[in-house]
Amino acid sequence: MNTLRAYIKTFVLWELWQGLSITLRNLFRPSITVQYPEDKTPQSVRFRGLHALRRYPNGEERCIACKLCEAVCPALAITIESDVAADGTRRTTRYDIDLFKCIYCGFCEEACPVDAIVETRIHEYYMEKPGENIMTKDKLLAIGDKYDAMISADKAADARYR
Amino acid sequence: MSDDMVNLEVDGRPVQARKGQMIIEVTDAVGAYVPRFCYHEKLSIAANCRMCLVQVEKAPKPLPACATPVGEGMKIFTRSPYAIAAQKATMEFLLINHPLDCPICDQGGECELQDLAMGYGRDVSRYTEKKRVVKDKDIGPLVSTDMTRCIHCTRCVRFGQEIAGIPELGTTHRGENMKISTYIEKSIDHELSANIIDLCPVGALNNKPYRYSARAWEIEQRATVAPHDCVGSNIYAHVLRGTVKRIVPRPNEAVNETWISDRDRFSYEAIYSADRLTTPRVRENGEWRDTDWESALKLLAEKLQAAGKDAGILLSPSSTTEEAYLLAKIAGHLGSPNIDHRLRRQDFSDQDNDPEAPLLGLEIAALEQVDGAFVVGSSIRREAPILAHRLRKAALRGARVSFACPEPESYHFGVHEYLSDAGLLTELAGVAAAAGCASNPSVRDLLAGVSATAAQQRVAASLSEAGSSVVLLGAIAERHPAAAALRTLAAAIAGATDSALGYVSEGANSVGASLAGALPHREAGGAARGAKGRCAAEIATGKGPALLLFGAEPGPDVPAFASEKRGYGFVAACTPFRSDALEASADLLLPVGTFAETSGTYVNCEGRWQSFAGVARPVGEARPGWKVLRVLGNLLDAPDFDYENSEEVRDELSAHLGSTPPKGGYAGGGKPVKAGAGSDDARRLDVPMYQVDGLVRRATALQRTPEAIRGREGC
Amino acid sequence: MSRSVRVFVPRETAAVSLGADEVAVALESAAQRNHGMAVELVRNGSRGLSWLEPLVEVETGGTRTAYGPVAPEDVDGLVAAGLFEGGTHALSLGPAEKIPYLATQQRWTFRRVGIDDPLSMDAYRAAGGFEGIGRAFELGPSAVLEHVIESGLRGRGGAGFPAGIKWRTVAAATADRKYIACNADEGDSGTFSDRILMEGDPYTLIEGMLIAGYTVGAHKGYIYLRSEYPLARRILGQAIANAREHGWLGTNVRDSGFDFDIELHLGAGSYVCGEETAMLESLEGKAGLIRYKPPLPALEGLFGKPTVVNNVVTLASVPDIVRLGGAAYAALGSGRSKGTLAFQLAGNVKRGGLVEIPFGATLRSLIEDWGGGTASGRPVRAVQVGGPLGAYLPDSLLDTPLDYEAFAAAGGMIGHGGIVVFDDTVDMAAQARFAMEFCSVESCGKCTPCRIGSVRGVEVIDRILGNQDRAANLELLDELCETMVQGSLCAMGGLTPYPVKSALKHFPGDFEPRSGGKR
Repeated sequence: MNTLRAYIKTFVLWELWQGLSITLRNLFRPSITVQYPEDKTPQSVRFRGLHALRRYPNGEERCIACKLCEAVCPALAITIESDVAADGTRRTTRYDIDLFKCIYCGFCEEACPVDAIVETRIHEYYMEKPGENIMTKDKLLAIGDKYDAMISADKAADARYR
Repeated sequence: MSDDMVNLEVDGRPVQARKGQMIIEVTDAVGAYVPRFCYHEKLSIAANCRMCLVQVEKAPKPLPACATPVGEGMKIFTRSPYAIAAQKATMEFLLINHPLDCPICDQGGECELQDLAMGYGRDVSRYTEKKRVVKDKDIGPLVSTDMTRCIHCTRCVRFGQEIAGIPELGTTHRGENMKISTYIEKSIDHELSANIIDLCPVGALNNKPYRYSARAWEIEQRATVAPHDCVGSNIYAHVLRGTVKRIVPRPNEAVNETWISDRDRFSYEAIYSADRLTTPRVRENGEWRDTDWESALKLLAEKLQAAGKDAGILLSPSSTTEEAYLLAKIAGHLGSPNIDHRLRRQDFSDQDNDPEAPLLGLEIAALEQVDGAFVVGSSIRREAPILAHRLRKAALRGARVSFACPEPESYHFGVHEYLSDAGLLTELAGVAAAAGCASNPSVRDLLAGVSATAAQQRVAASLSEAGSSVVLLGAIAERHPAAAALRTLAAAIAGATDSALGYVSEGANSVGASLAGALPHREAGGAARGAKGRCAAEIATGKGPALLLFGAEPGPDVPAFASEKRGYGFVAACTPFRSDALEASADLLLPVGTFAETSGTYVNCEGRWQSFAGVARPVGEARPGWKVLRVLGNLLDAPDFDYENSEEVRDELSAHLGSTPPKGGYAGGGKPVKAGAGSDDARRLDVPMYQVDGLVRRATALQRTPEAIRGREGC
Repeated sequence: MSRSVRVFVPRETAAVSLGADEVAVALESAAQRNHGMAVELVRNGSRGLSWLEPLVEVETGGTRTAYGPVAPEDVDGLVAAGLFEGGTHALSLGPAEKIPYLATQQRWTFRRVGIDDPLSMDAYRAAGGFEGIGRAFELGPSAVLEHVIESGLRGRGGAGFPAGIKWRTVAAATADRKYIACNADEGDSGTFSDRILMEGDPYTLIEGMLIAGYTVGAHKGYIYLRSEYPLARRILGQAIANAREHGWLGTNVRDSGFDFDIELHLGAGSYVCGEETAMLESLEGKAGLIRYKPPLPALEGLFGKPTVVNNVVTLASVPDIVRLGGAAYAALGSGRSKGTLAFQLAGNVKRGGLVEIPFGATLRSLIEDWGGGTASGRPVRAVQVGGPLGAYLPDSLLDTPLDYEAFAAAGGMIGHGGIVVFDDTVDMAAQARFAMEFCSVESCGKCTPCRIGSVRGVEVIDRILGNQDRAANLELLDELCETMVQGSLCAMGGLTPYPVKSALKHFPGDFEPRSGGKR
């Protein structure tokens, strides 16, 4: 009985039609392919991309060199050196993130008591030369300054879930 | 069971304790931790933090474990809900006013309050009003203050009253306005005062030079030994990525208890001073230029080889034993007996009476058990602060402690007698006369016509009446132009009063250097040299083809060596630092590591061998001294110089010395000694506390203290 | 006709502040004008009838007629009415001893107070003074100690610790020196018995200290007097000088072979220095911070030596205990509270003053029979016994017998015997807040619960009164009080919650939200 059924399926090209039916169905579905980089998929405000160091509105660095991010980093990607600043506050003299080590887990952001280190939504970056993978304090602050509006908006949007 | 024991129960476990012990001592002994802030085993009981409340059966209230003596049949519960509730209630109160600035607080990560708050604190405070804020005080260059963080445990206050002996810090105002302060605005200046940093359970008092530079969890703790005095205080270096960030005490009851002097704590700053020599340097045609190790060592080997038996070697008394031994070995290979570490000594006339090693005569811990002590020619608080602390403890116990010193010095205990009016030699002769030494042939000449004053008689009596007593000779006595006479008198006094004779020796390792044979008249192990070499003063002022300075700078360390009168064809210096005097007088500078960058052994004044490993990454091209000397030995083709590590050097020396402990005290006797010429000009004899070696001279924070400023101005 | 009339005008702080000095001046000038009269003006102590001060007494023919309260302007009228002959006047009160307030008391410690010139050595000796120490010298230290123990005398400073037991501890301790420290830092609000005694009968205190010193083997006594008592200071200072002059102080007291001297030390205004260990610190010249116990002051007290620390009234009760025997004192009182206590009526009470009666009477009888109810005439709402840190008792507890144990059972404490009466206009929440505020100002700051709890207690009460999160804050206040009671180093922090908790317990309505303004 089963043998007979198999024969019939073979002769009417049943599997072929079955496969083509999927093609047919998808022919009428809306396209989900995005034309990157012209088009981009929507991102969550919690997206964990490139890091940034933030400032207070008055321009003061937020980072107080508590080194909690360094301590919590599971990939040992952060290196901080600190000292007393000219105004007597506790400041970093070096804040390096090695992007090759970083696993973008976001723990640094979670650990930060002053919301200084954040992971932005930026994910389109590249390095050309050795050493560019090290994000120095200046680079991180520059990112923070440049994307401050976006970072603030993202943080505000996510604030009530935290 | 003896009468003075009681049986009690801690958390259901039966325990025996001594009568009169406090509960907290018993719970600590059985490992039942009771949280505490104000209690510290080295300080008196204050019972004011109220954190150590425990439940005691039948007591109407929870009782403070630190201030409740144990009783027979007591049932103590340290972890019962009742006890925990009381502890949590106190913690809640303490946290009301404590600021939430742990992220910027240097104590964060090693804070007693933080740790206990994890166990006993609530996540959110129920008290929402403003926290108390207190203005910070400037109490000097060593200790930073953040007084808002203070929880008023008064450990620092009690430290001043009980350990230092001067209440530099105290409480003012009352109630919530109570503040810890210096009463009037001043710095805290006691030589042990920075220990309050360790005592403070929170971040109110902290290490100023260390401020904000590292976190407790990222530093590595490496054991080492302090390099400035003959105590050899045990310390930990806290190292971050190969750099020493701070020094803290390593408790050792036999040596430094839990304290260290400020000098030991803050001298590490010099390791990273701008004066560090980072590459070998050579002077050619009057111009200094950098060179490489290989050619530098070759040049040195060449010059030494050529100098042969006329080569001179001067080494710092703070060199490690290994360095001293290798230098002595190199000198031996060259056939030169001209090696010495007694750089500040002037009177070598009775150096044959030197003991095998300048030992203290008793154990450091035994110093606090003496009934009488006579300290001769020593500003002992500056020379060896820990020994001064032990003497203070003895004095508080009732010991009669007297001093003979041209240098005025205040001691924070009842000094029995302070002899300074008539000059060291005269005072000492008076005491010797009072002690009945007139018939002693070695001092008979010195005592001719001497009659003792009342004060001198009291000193002699305090020694002869004491059950155990000690006569200590300090650095001023050693540097004195009449050192031979002083020592003979001191030895006579010690002999007549049945006291031990001891030395508070220079540097960290005079004992080790003596044992290693870094002496012109003795070989390693104490055997007399066949041909006596020139002593330090003669080497420094003498002439010759080549001189090697090891860890000693002309001027402050070798006062007799004056560059303009330089009598050597070639001068090389193995030194961690450059200095103007060095650059003026030397031809070759070899960068060697400081105590932190080398392994080695210090033998302290009680004869305790304390080996340590290098704790920090060497700065620049600096290399451990023993390695430099080992290669130098190879280049000189010296036999048996293939050491793999410093332990092999040490083991070779200790095998050579054998198991008999070295003899201290006085090796002379019988032969009369003449008084040397020269007065005790205190200014010339005293080396200020923060000028003793290259490290402390370059320790920035220490140099800002009033003590250092006084020392510099006095020089 | 020339006969001597003795006129008594108290020299005591309360009387003086009410014009006694002016009255005395007026009387003197009136007497001068009255040439026939040889008037002897005596400045006595106060009999403790404070509401009648200045209470002028005239002794004629062996009876003392009292007039009061006398204002300076009354003097002419009084003299005209025959004051110097004991004549009657609107201010006449009849024979002083017969005034019911005084007649119904049973005086022991205050027996001599107000009778005569406090500095007159003759008057003191005539009234049985220095007989106690004389008898002590006959009996010897151990027998004296037995009497004190037998008397059941307990510390009158507040804690009620048996004095004899304390003395025995000090006597048994071996030390090269021992001390007697008299606590005259009477800082509790509404208390004044120490002052009345020191101003009215200073020799009794000196004699009590002598006996204490003789009994325990101490040769030096200190009186720690609060600086707010300048008159007491003058009188005590003079009394000590007189006693020294007459050989009652110094080396070899009255040829007994016993050396004893007393030094008067002035406090600097801290309430907490009334606590014994803080007082000892202050006596040593340090800041008045509490010391932890053990060691008890009886073993390591002043300058680390065994020290008897007793209140003025305790020490002043001793001479008659030794003179009349411990049993005579023990016969008075009730239960374990032996003898008499000098209660001090103050606050909103018609007849404020000192009432020395044996333990056992009820609080109500004290307030009504002696005090005569409130001064405002309104009903009594609350009574605070034992100073600012004593519990507030409502009307329902006024029948509590006045003895240490019964009071403790009722959640209160007798303390120093100060009784402050409030009528029904009192705001108990404000009173509770005051207790915390008082503690925050007066805390020495040594221990955490008292230092922090008091300040935060005020804030929590403010939040409750401001109707912020009431239920949570009431619970918080309760826990705060508990922490202070359980954790504090000394009684100051441990007792502060009592007025707060008692106000909360007995007068919860006062903590309800306010609808604008005070009730």
